[in-house]
Amino acid sequence: MQTRRSFLKFGAGAAAVGALAPLTASAKSSDIKWDESHEVVIVGSGFAGLAAAVEAGKLGAKDIVVFEKLGVYGGNSTLNAGQACFADTDLQRKLGIKDSAELMVKDQLASGRGYASEELLRHSAELGPYIYQLTKDCGCVYRDHIINTGGTSATRSHQVVERSGAGFIRPMLKTARSYGVKTKTRHKFEGLITAADGSVLGIKVRKGYHTEHEDSGKLINVKAERGVLIATGGFAANVAFRQALDPTLGHEVGHTNARGATGDGLIAMLAEGAMPIHLSFIQSGPWASPDEGGFGYGAGFSLYNFPHSIAIDRNTGMRFMNETADRKHRADLEIQRRDKDGNPHPALLIAPKHEAQKDPSMENVLKYNVAWEFDSVEAIAKHFDLPLKALKQQIEDWNGYVKAGHDPQFGKRMDMSTGIYMTAPFIVQRLWPKVHYCQGGIQINTKAEVIAAKNGKPIPNLYAAGEVSGGVHGVSRLGGCSTPDCMAFGVTAARSMMKA
Amino acid sequence: MKPMTTLLVLVFSSVIALSAQARDKRDYHEALYEEGCKSCHDQGLKNYPSDESCLQCHDMGELAEQTKREGHEAKQNPHDSMHYGQEAPCMECHGEHTKKQAICMDCHNFNYPNFTK
Repeated sequence: MQTRRSFLKFGAGAAAVGALAPLTASAKSSDIKWDESHEVVIVGSGFAGLAAAVEAGKLGAKDIVVFEKLGVYGGNSTLNAGQACFADTDLQRKLGIKDSAELMVKDQLASGRGYASEELLRHSAELGPYIYQLTKDCGCVYRDHIINTGGTSATRSHQVVERSGAGFIRPMLKTARSYGVKTKTRHKFEGLITAADGSVLGIKVRKGYHTEHEDSGKLINVKAERGVLIATGGFAANVAFRQALDPTLGHEVGHTNARGATGDGLIAMLAEGAMPIHLSFIQSGPWASPDEGGFGYGAGFSLYNFPHSIAIDRNTGMRFMNETADRKHRADLEIQRRDKDGNPHPALLIAPKHEAQKDPSMENVLKYNVAWEFDSVEAIAKHFDLPLKALKQQIEDWNGYVKAGHDPQFGKRMDMSTGIYMTAPFIVQRLWPKVHYCQGGIQINTKAEVIAAKNGKPIPNLYAAGEVSGGVHGVSRLGGCSTPDCMAFGVTAARSMMKA
Repeated sequence: MKPMTTLLVLVFSSVIALSAQARDKRDYHEALYEEGCKSCHDQGLKNYPSDESCLQCHDMGELAEQTKREGHEAKQNPHDSMHYGQEAPCMECHGEHTKKQAICMDCHNFNYPNFTK
């Protein structure tokens, strides 16, 4: 990574003389040898980057470039369940769901536990209908079924038919290219090039980069005429970084992210004096399975089944949480499931097959050994060494809650499991959290401008959107709420750059 | 010290010679080795070949056809996947001189029986 100071010393041709002489001269664009120049420079090809590219294209930008560090497009955005929370859509109305942007913001503020930004959440929620339409215009196709994610007071997580972020990324990439957007893989962002007043002139990029080979490729200087959007995602794959911020997140905890989620963009902006915010708020996904890598198939299965299923502690044979509480609440409780020696003893998600089979995720988890079918409570207890009597009682109690429409044990919202009783055969998946999302990052405003730490003012020509930005969601982000946030601020950054 | 240094030099030079000679390679690429390293290393010997290099001989469309999967598994075609379409560069999954595994396996327990590490 290169700071402005080191760039001035070594990058602008000042070389050894620069190292000795005090730096008084400002870096001017004309002092720099530019290898490429583009009107709009976007770093990262996930939801935020591609939404920005599409919007900038719509607004008439003629020369847009998207740099992607990995060999493949989409980063983390292509590795998830393909959900996006929008409030008050035609699909919700068709399904009889009453919702509003106001209610969505309220739910997110509750999960943010006093740290979320109401202003940024409202900005994103109000752009929701525009984003919903933009994705449909790109060719994304939504299911008729809306997913209920934890911590929400209305069912609002719209899901693409692929049940994967790929269902957004592939059509958006195609649409971006139809606007003439240049998309380039193996281009790793290595730092900002700034003028003496701090405004961003361009970026340093390692062209021809291969993952984990830090000196592969060669460095080039890319000039940005209208500005730079950093949309590089989070740092879940950077164990040293995340563990420094949250000591519980060492190697024992996996992650759901793409290989590239190492925080490069964030670190480079911090080096330029951007405002760090909420960096220690790192979220683990409570739906993850320890029986496969990354996000995998298990997440989709548990997301569909949590509302009408029970999560069981293997020592007690009993429930230990509200299975549809927000992510932080559940992940914190799941990671406490330990055997007598303190080793991880993942909880069991038990789902009734008669309901689980309604979603295609069941076939995937069974086929690839992420979940298993059992034809009786006894078989589950025997296989996982659970106290049978307690488990039987728990299932009987649970079925009573389903009937009554009320969960006195953990206060779960029971209108999602009406008439769905826990009866054999069962599908069982193990649960162990994986680091999923970094709520923290650098601070932005409602124009997607990056804020400087020294004075709280925007850094000229620098924009950020998506997971690399922080402070939006506070302590814990709700499921399905990153996708619309990424896209809303990607679109916003494009509008800011295009002065639209 | 001197005999020791000589010995070290000998050991090191043989290691270097070995690493050049005994480098992992795929037998079916033998003809390319005969033509020389540059037949693949189109960006200089110290650099990775470009993503287009393998495509001088291989065609992604044909590969996609060869590894086609049916029905439920259709999107698991590594050469035409749900996540990356036909755009995943060869080197994301295949190594000529190093062992690799398919990028899909970062998250999925797929079975690709014909894949050689």
